[in-house]
Amino acid sequence: MNKVVEKRTVDMQIIGEWVAPGSRVLDLGSGRGALLDYLVQTKEVSALGVDLDFGRVTACVARGIPVYQGDMTAFMREFPDRYFDRVICSRTVQELDDPTGVILEALRVGRALTVGFVNFGFWKNRVDALTRGRKVRNEVYTTEWFESRPANPVTIADFEHFCAAKGITITRRAHLRGNWRSPCRFLPNLFAGYALYDLRK
Amino acid sequence: MTDPEESASAPTPLAPGEVGLVAPCDFVCAQSFTFRSGQTLPGFTLRYETYGELNATRDNAVLICHALSGDHHCAGVHSLQDRKPGWWNNLIGPGKAVDTTRFFVVCANVLGGCVGSSGPSSVDPATGEPYGIGFPFVTIPDMVRAQKLLLDHLGVTTLHAVIGGSMGGMQALQFAIEFPGFVRRVLAMATTARESAQAIAFNEVGRQAIMQDPDWNHGAYPKGGGPRVGLAIARMMAHITYLSDASMDRKFGRRKKNPGNGDVYNFDVQFEVESYLRHQGQSFINRFDANSYLYITRALDQFDLAAADGSLEAAFGPVQAETLVVGFTSDWLFPPEQNRAIAHALLRAGKRASYAELTTDLGHDSFLLESEELYTLVRSFLERSQAPVVDFSI
Repeated sequence: MNKVVEKRTVDMQIIGEWVAPGSRVLDLGSGRGALLDYLVQTKEVSALGVDLDFGRVTACVARGIPVYQGDMTAFMREFPDRYFDRVICSRTVQELDDPTGVILEALRVGRALTVGFVNFGFWKNRVDALTRGRKVRNEVYTTEWFESRPANPVTIADFEHFCAAKGITITRRAHLRGNWRSPCRFLPNLFAGYALYDLRK
Repeated sequence: MTDPEESASAPTPLAPGEVGLVAPCDFVCAQSFTFRSGQTLPGFTLRYETYGELNATRDNAVLICHALSGDHHCAGVHSLQDRKPGWWNNLIGPGKAVDTTRFFVVCANVLGGCVGSSGPSSVDPATGEPYGIGFPFVTIPDMVRAQKLLLDHLGVTTLHAVIGGSMGGMQALQFAIEFPGFVRRVLAMATTARESAQAIAFNEVGRQAIMQDPDWNHGAYPKGGGPRVGLAIARMMAHITYLSDASMDRKFGRRKKNPGNGDVYNFDVQFEVESYLRHQGQSFINRFDANSYLYITRALDQFDLAAADGSLEAAFGPVQAETLVVGFTSDWLFPPEQNRAIAHALLRAGKRASYAELTTDLGHDSFLLESEELYTLVRSFLERSQAPVVDFSI
């Protein structure tokens, strides 16, 4: 298993611990359905994904994961309040055009919202930016600026500020160190590589 | 839908991967059949074809439902001299997306049709004349119930899948509602849960072209006769709705039939698109019955799944099948929004449903497209093993 896949599975395990067995889960930006597949097999959730890409949607269909191809905000508007037990937004939030809109809509249709993101405030990113003076590049940020989609890197401090400003309740948080494995309790905005939040409104 | 000759690069009929030579069969149902309208027939015939073998557990059948102008001949050839294979030959065959080495594929000409199944051109035993407009009014649920009787006759206990595009998609959805325990998967493409005003309007223009033709004679015309002009015009108009501005421009542009002649100041065929449409109209009248066209377009108009139950969610209440809806970006007859609405309602009703959208510029007929992406999607939906696979690759 390469490093990225290993990190991905750590992410899955924590989300898996937060998900109630048999619950109804919507994954925003479901990709090829790996996370939902894991949740179906370990927690027997009723899974639904949403993604923009036909190839990734096909991969979900091949896995037996129900999936909807289209815009996630427009899709969520089709559902009544609290239709889903949990909405998951894993490693998608930094690529959204309208993160506030998506998160508030997710908190409307979901009883809980799990957001996972790479902490851009991690010290190595700061050192990299300071010393090289160029777009951060490492095993997490792998692309040149000119070969990647526009991204809105977010830090733990940014995200906590966002939740406070919007009146969103943080019910659980998990901060992981640079190895994305061991918990990080000391100065997470500096020393955590990955962050997971469980939110309610 | 358009004729498959547009898209199909003619494969050798007996090549590996082809269904090859096929022959239609007739299912004669001697039981009395009551239509939604309350009208009855003492019995009916459905002409159908099958490819592949029904397995021992009788649960590997895949029902293919055809669109307005389609028929039961969806794959293979009837003779080695055939110029073109069945209309969905690119999708169906050994090793193809609908794999006839795994599945027992069944396709029937709909009730009300004119290619061997009972319809207005059938002879009424009471009079010895064709039924004409004395034939009972047909609805999509009637078509589906007749096909269920055929499947019972063939010994099918469970449908692995029911697949259709356009009107075929309507039948597929209706099947899952009428016979929930019988259907495992529904694959509906380029379709709608409710015929829109625009689609009804196009149908009405087609019907008026037929009914205003004096040879229609209130539906009473001899076999081989009838409103040939009206039916051809109906087909020409409808054909445009199956294409798109982009695809027509690519195919014909402003190309002239006789480019050497310069501008011609008369009303003879001048542009290639005119000649193409006239050809479409002419070939249609040789294979389609005008009264059937009236009946089937009326069945389309009346299709509105939500109407009976108050909402689409309520209509989908009984569904047990897993559904995949596929929309096509350039389809302006049953546009993506109408396909998405089906998936939305199924999901709101708590059903297992997916929606995929293919970017094409071929219009409504995109569902007949030769596209590896579409084939992979269809195959993934049909062949996914029920056993869980432990593979968390990203």
